[in-house]
Amino acid sequence: MTWHVDAELLQEYERGSLTPSRVMAVDAHVQACAACRAAVPADTARLDRTWLAVADTIVTGRPGRAEWLLRRAGLPEHRVRLLAATPALRWSYLAATAAVLALAVAAAYTGQSAARTTLVLFLVFAPVLPVLAVATAYGPPADSMHEITSATPMAGPSLVLWRATAVVGPAMGMEMIAAVASPGPGWWAVAWLLPAFLLCVGTLALATVLPLARAAGLLGGTWLLVALAAGSSAPLVQGVLFGPAAQAGYLVAVIAAIVVLTLRRRHLNPGENR
Amino acid sequence: MTTVRVGELHKRFGATVALDGLDLEIGVGVTGLLGPNGAGKTTLLRCLATALAPDHGRIEAYGLDPADSRQRTALRRRLGYLPQSPGLYPNFSAAALLGYVAVLKEIVDPRMRRAEVHRALEEVGLSDRANVKVRKLSGGMRQRLGVAQALLGHPDLIILDEPTVGLDPEQRMFFRTLISRLGETRTVLLSTHQTEDAGALCERVVVLREGRAVFDGAPRALAQLAEGQVWRSAGPPEGRTMYWRTAEGDYRTLGPQPPDGVAVPPSIEDGYLKLLGPAPAAGTIR
Repeated sequence: MTWHVDAELLQEYERGSLTPSRVMAVDAHVQACAACRAAVPADTARLDRTWLAVADTIVTGRPGRAEWLLRRAGLPEHRVRLLAATPALRWSYLAATAAVLALAVAAAYTGQSAARTTLVLFLVFAPVLPVLAVATAYGPPADSMHEITSATPMAGPSLVLWRATAVVGPAMGMEMIAAVASPGPGWWAVAWLLPAFLLCVGTLALATVLPLARAAGLLGGTWLLVALAAGSSAPLVQGVLFGPAAQAGYLVAVIAAIVVLTLRRRHLNPGENR
Repeated sequence: MTTVRVGELHKRFGATVALDGLDLEIGVGVTGLLGPNGAGKTTLLRCLATALAPDHGRIEAYGLDPADSRQRTALRRRLGYLPQSPGLYPNFSAAALLGYVAVLKEIVDPRMRRAEVHRALEEVGLSDRANVKVRKLSGGMRQRLGVAQALLGHPDLIILDEPTVGLDPEQRMFFRTLISRLGETRTVLLSTHQTEDAGALCERVVVLREGRAVFDGAPRALAQLAEGQVWRSAGPPEGRTMYWRTAEGDYRTLGPQPPDGVAVPPSIEDGYLKLLGPAPAAGTIR
């Protein structure tokens, strides 16, 4: 190199007061000349941050549609990561969704054959089954990373309930459409879905003020106690616990739980303990 | 300093006893678990990783008792675990998979998580494979990714179940360097069938058999169990004993001195075989 950038030019270069053509000329020289490059002070912290951001953009790529929708719905980014991973866990998701759908279909057929007692028992216990189905679906047979997951602090009821919500939510939407198109008992086939969804979302909402295990026990226990107490009378179960007025109440409660969860989401500890 | 204590640990799977009153204390550094298949190595590691509850006995790691749910969660915040079959999702990219595990490890801030994922990828030499799907990574790279997920969140206790299995010598060397570096400041517990890995890496070796520790000491001490019982000879030894023909064409014998046997220094493998190997009457290893 036969010439070097003089001190005055270098200062202007650092200040960013050079014209674009002169910047390009100095850039070209600095890239080729180690001595001049060394004379330019570098903000390594800023460089690291910039490089990390560039690498991150390249690596992360664009979010998928499900991820984008969940973000738009206001879910925290880390929750979106967990839920958006759900469709990628194909077999787990399919197994859990299939279990939910099978239960609904079973209810429809049971209702058609007028097996009232079976229907009552089914309706009482069905709302707690999706959570169990999800817990099973994400266990060793279906989730290849179960062993790793189980050794993380987020393993436990919180993860199960979030995944249950992810599975029951879309399944409920599908079943609503299926019930309208189905002959026979109609909406009885999906009568249990709204309480099931309420149990999932309600437990999470309650977990913003109580330890999660206590919230789950409180809501689930209350449901079973009330449902079993009413279970002695089929008309009572069908008319009161799953009747139109009750369903409207569940819907209001679901909306309330979602509002509470949204407003108090920062209070929800990601781990299983508070 | 002792960081992990195991006392009277029992675990059965049906009629099979996996752990039979195991007592163990582990400290900072690399401790290797050796033992034949079914000796209880994986069961012990799973219990310590809180992935499996023992039937009886005590575990205490960094003062935390995993039998208590709160302390179990606190312990999980301090541990990294690579199971024998990590089952990494094949359709995830390396970075996405680590991001997912990082969320499970409660690294919820996106910036911190991204930085942590980059750090873990760099630590295992996979920075240039961040965007590659797991199914397209080689076996060695998948194993590195498995270790990377265990390193997320800077765990104090690192549990690795056969991290070097199926790796070529170059990859194994990489793992030796990585694991020995980790062991400088953290408690690393690994199981392996590779006695030479244990010798090269571990300050301490514990040999399990039928759910109990039958040896606990330095690798050199394990090798010394076969002191004066390893021989080289031109021909095969008489009678039933453990011997094999070496690449040089002579015979290496573990047991009584053959007629023309010359004593050679024992390796860790010799000590291990002496400790656990079949009795001479049981047959010949060729």
